[in-house]
Amino acid sequence: MSNNSNVKFRFNNSELWGGLIGLGLGLFVIRSGLKLKLGTINDPGSGYVLFYTGILMCLFAASIIVASLTEGGPTFGSRWENARWTKPLIVIACLTAFAFSLDTFGFLLSSIPLMVLLLRLIDPVRWSLAIPIAVIAPLGMWWVLKRLLLIQLPSGIFEIG
Amino acid sequence: MDTLINVAHGFGIALLPVNLVYCFIGVFIGTLVGVLPGIGPISAMSLLLPVTLSGTPESGIIMMAGIYYGSMYGGSTTSILVNIPGEAASVVTCIDGHQMAKQGRAGPALGISAFGSFIAGTFALVALMLVAPSLASVAIAFGPADYFSLMALGLVVLTFLTQGSMAKALLMACIGIVLGLIGLDSITAQPRLTFGRIELIDGIGLVPVVMGLFGVAEVLLNTEQIIKRDIINAKITQLFPSKEDWKASTGPVARGTILGFFLGILPGGGAVISSFASYALEKRLSKTPERFGNGAIEGVAGPEAANNAAAGGAFIPLMTLGIPPNVVMALLLGAFVIHGLQPGPLLITQNPGLFWGIVASMYIGNVMLLVLNLPLIGMWVQLLKLPYNILFPLIVLFTIIGVYCSSNNVFDVYVMIAFGVIGYFMRKLGYEPAPLVLAFVLGPMLENNLRKSLILSQGDLMTFVTRPISATCLALAVVLLVGPLLPSLRKKRELVALDEGV
Repeated sequence: MSNNSNVKFRFNNSELWGGLIGLGLGLFVIRSGLKLKLGTINDPGSGYVLFYTGILMCLFAASIIVASLTEGGPTFGSRWENARWTKPLIVIACLTAFAFSLDTFGFLLSSIPLMVLLLRLIDPVRWSLAIPIAVIAPLGMWWVLKRLLLIQLPSGIFEIG
Repeated sequence: MDTLINVAHGFGIALLPVNLVYCFIGVFIGTLVGVLPGIGPISAMSLLLPVTLSGTPESGIIMMAGIYYGSMYGGSTTSILVNIPGEAASVVTCIDGHQMAKQGRAGPALGISAFGSFIAGTFALVALMLVAPSLASVAIAFGPADYFSLMALGLVVLTFLTQGSMAKALLMACIGIVLGLIGLDSITAQPRLTFGRIELIDGIGLVPVVMGLFGVAEVLLNTEQIIKRDIINAKITQLFPSKEDWKASTGPVARGTILGFFLGILPGGGAVISSFASYALEKRLSKTPERFGNGAIEGVAGPEAANNAAAGGAFIPLMTLGIPPNVVMALLLGAFVIHGLQPGPLLITQNPGLFWGIVASMYIGNVMLLVLNLPLIGMWVQLLKLPYNILFPLIVLFTIIGVYCSSNNVFDVYVMIAFGVIGYFMRKLGYEPAPLVLAFVLGPMLENNLRKSLILSQGDLMTFVTRPISATCLALAVVLLVGPLLPSLRKKRELVALDEGV
């Protein structure tokens, strides 16, 4: 961290942004605490702990911000240096798509494509292996849950599963 | 005499065929997740939390406990043979364990790790059996102020031991408290931070948060790099350590056991810190410290004993005070709550069968692990050859199913994915998730005890400093909070800082 002195006072400093997000969250928690009513010290209200936790959050976030401004910090780029940053993005995109399709298409129709994508897009597994794994794993899990444990997974608009 | 009668009663429960099966499943899965890098006891326990619903409380908790101490055994196999720690507590074992394996001494390394773990695990159980009932009888006198201060100390210890900036760890703990308070206020029944969503009225579930922050985030981090495994392919022979190996390891195992047990009891401590502390201690005591890092058996025996003893010790604060000292115990607390049980000072008197049954099952589990691990090492090595690009989609699938089954609610799957993404960015920016999770669990209890103590004392804050237990805990917490400002203590903190506070 200290060898990045050339990035001092730059906005491209991940520590600074981390602190700012923390500060924003702290302010939001303080506001929520106030809205919920603090009560008195004899009879603390629903917002009492939230309010003081929010203040602590702001203090800790402020100390992170001050440290980032005085000591500098790594840039966002350096955090992802030598990392295949597109791979986690692909996984996140796949999971988001899965989350949106789960209710509509059900577990089986959503998880099989998810498995195919994860098996093929990150470190590609050959098709002859990817397809059987992508089909057998969700089907097997679905069978165990539905038949043995009597747990109903979402079946979606097509009521498959 | 009473203790012996209770132990006999416990064995009567633990030896029931159904409990033996659950114990076996627990230690087997524990070893499996300990062996497999990228999935640890936290993910496995979250995944199986809903399964515990189908049996009796004893069976479910016996299985969950088995996963925890089983993973401590399994983690060493990966560390020694592949140089990748299966779980955080085995990081230190990589240093000398893998060097031993490279020198053709994988067998003695695996052997001493299994025997050391067994000895430490057994000692921790005997101590748990003797200490827990006495502590529970003292804990009945604890008031809300004592509980509040004890929990605050636990959180501060964990943030102190977490790697990186302490301000970041404290910020994470605060966020955890806030997340824990989402839902209905337990005193006024007023909804808090629910944003009008009915799914949030009961709060956010522990399982999706943990699975997201530890399971999904770990997968995202692992996909960033190509995982290369330096697996030792030579045939593993001589699992029983030689006379010389035993001579060198006896002291480290004994010291690691005692150190690990006491560090395990400490709120915020646990298996990871004890393995690091044991390694540092052995290196300091050694006449030839230069051998450490080059295949010293003491560097395997001490930490492995320490992390297993800590796993046993960690049950004490949970069983006697109802306070989970680390994330794994927080999940176990979840298992108790699912079954309508509240761990705490009254657990041992109100549910003696449950407490002594769990303790007895841990003896049986330790024997199972010893029998299971040594002959099955070949199978675990084969399992390690499973490529990560096949393994991680399966982990993702299991986490999704595990989260869905915990509540039968698709919303929890969304929560898990969201926390997975948040956890990934948190780790990239140097924010550790362990303080957040522990605070998430302790948050509602912390708030409840704070408000109760303020109501009972009619707003007199002196109640926190006039009670000896509360005052001691708060004083310790203040020392740890102010300590890092002193250069000497800051240096010590950096030496013992953890990757994950479990």
